[in-house]
Amino acid sequence: MGELGFHWQSLLVYLVNFTILLVFLYLLAYKPILRVLDQRSLRIKDSLEQAERVQKEAAERQAAFELQLTEARRANQAQFEEAQKRIAQYEREQKERADKLVGEELTKARSEIQRERDLAIDEVRAHFGELAITAAERIVRRSLDAPAHREVIDQVLQEGGAMGGRRS
Amino acid sequence: MSPNAKRALFAILAAAGVLALVGVMLGGIVSKTPFVPKPEVHLPPQPVLAADAQEAEEAHKLPDRFIITNTLLSSWIATGLLLLLFWLGARGVKDNQAPRGIANMVEAVVETMYGFVEGIAGRDNTRKFFPLFATIFIFVTFNAWLGLLPIYPTLGFIEDGEVVRHLLRPAGTDLNMPLAIAVVSFVFVEFWGIRSVGLGYFGKFFRLGSLLKGQVIDFFVGILELISEFIRLVSFTFRLFGNMTAGEILLLVFTFLLPFSFPLLFYGLELLVGLIQGLIFSGLTLVFVTLAIQPHGGEGEHGGH
Repeated sequence: MGELGFHWQSLLVYLVNFTILLVFLYLLAYKPILRVLDQRSLRIKDSLEQAERVQKEAAERQAAFELQLTEARRANQAQFEEAQKRIAQYEREQKERADKLVGEELTKARSEIQRERDLAIDEVRAHFGELAITAAERIVRRSLDAPAHREVIDQVLQEGGAMGGRRS
Repeated sequence: MSPNAKRALFAILAAAGVLALVGVMLGGIVSKTPFVPKPEVHLPPQPVLAADAQEAEEAHKLPDRFIITNTLLSSWIATGLLLLLFWLGARGVKDNQAPRGIANMVEAVVETMYGFVEGIAGRDNTRKFFPLFATIFIFVTFNAWLGLLPIYPTLGFIEDGEVVRHLLRPAGTDLNMPLAIAVVSFVFVEFWGIRSVGLGYFGKFFRLGSLLKGQVIDFFVGILELISEFIRLVSFTFRLFGNMTAGEILLLVFTFLLPFSFPLLFYGLELLVGLIQGLIFSGLTLVFVTLAIQPHGGEGEHGGH
C-alpha cells in the first residue's frame, strides 16, 4: 500500500477536509438553496391552487352568467313577441281607421260632386229653356224668310254659347 | 445536427487545426526530438516542500508524519474554489427573482442533484441523503476537472532544467483521497442502516437463525454480505484511484507522444470520465444507503455492488 501512496496522516487530512467541505457546503449552499427551492415550490403550489380556485370561480360565474343570459333572452323574446303583437294590432287599428276615414271622405266627395253636377245640369237646363223661349219670342215677333230664320237661330246659339262659356 | 452543435464542432475542429499548425511550426509534431519531456509516473503523491521531498526520496516512501503533498494542495484548492463558488451562487438564489450567472448554475446543479436523489431514495429520505451525495459528486468531479487545467502538469520545482516535483496533481490520483471518501461513505451507509433498522440491521450479516435451522448456505451468505460491506471500501477506492490515475497517465503519455491537437480527444474523454466517476461514487453510496435502510427480511437479502 505504501508503494501506491497510502499515508494515514494524509488520509486523516482528507477526511477532515471532506468533512469541512460537507459541513460548509451544507451551511452555505445546500441549506439556503433548498430553503429557497422549498419556498418557491410552496409559492408555485399556492399559485396553482389559487389559479385552480379562480378557474373554478370563473366557471361558476360563467355558468351563472349564461343562466342569467338565457333567462334574459327568454324574457326579451316574450317582450318582443308582445311588442310585435301590439304593433300588429296598432297597425291593424290604424289601417281600419284610415280606411274608414278615406271611405267617408270618398262618399262625401262623391255626393258633393253629384250634387254639383245636378245643380249644373239643372242650371243648364234652365238656361236652355230661357234661350228656347227667347228664340221662340223672336221667331214669333217677326215673319221671317228662310235666310232670316237661319240668322236668328245662329244668333240665339251664339248667345247661348257665350252664356255657357261665361258660366263655365 | 443543430446550428449550435455545428458551430461548436467547427470551433473545435478549427482549434485543433490551429494547434496542429502551431505544433508543426514549433517542431512539436514532426520533430524527431521530443517536444515535451518524457513523463515520469509516480503513484504516491509528491511532497511540496523541499525538505519533505528529500526525506521521501531518501526513505523511498512518504515521511511518517503530516506533510503537504501536491494532491493535498490540489484538494485544498478545489475545496476553497467549491466553497467560494457555491457561497457566491447561493447568495444570488432568491425566491422572488430568476437566478442569473453563477447563482443560476449553482441552483441548476443543486436542483438536478436533488431530483436525482429523490428519484432513487424517495421523497422522505432525500433531505437526509442529499448533502453527502451532492458533496461526493461535486468534490470528485471538480477535482477531476481541475486536474485537466494545463497548469497541473506544468507547474513544479525545476532542477537541472527539468520539473522534478509537480506543485499540483489531481487529488483523485492520490489513493488517500478516494479512500477517505470511501470511509465516509461506509460510515454513512452503516450509520443510516443501524439508525433505520436498529440492531436488526446486523441480522443480515449474522444469520444465526439460519444456522440453527441447518441452513448453512444462508448463514454463509450473511457472512459474505459482511465481507462485501468492507470490500466496498476497496472497490470504491480503487475504482476512482485507478480511473483518475489512468486518465492522468494517458494524458501525459499522449502529450509526450503526439503533442498539440491529438491529446484534445483525451481531454474530452477525461471530462466525461470525471463526471462519470463522480456520479458512480455518489450514486453507489446513495444506492447502498437506500438498501441499508430497508427493513431486513432475514432470509434471501443480498446487498448489491
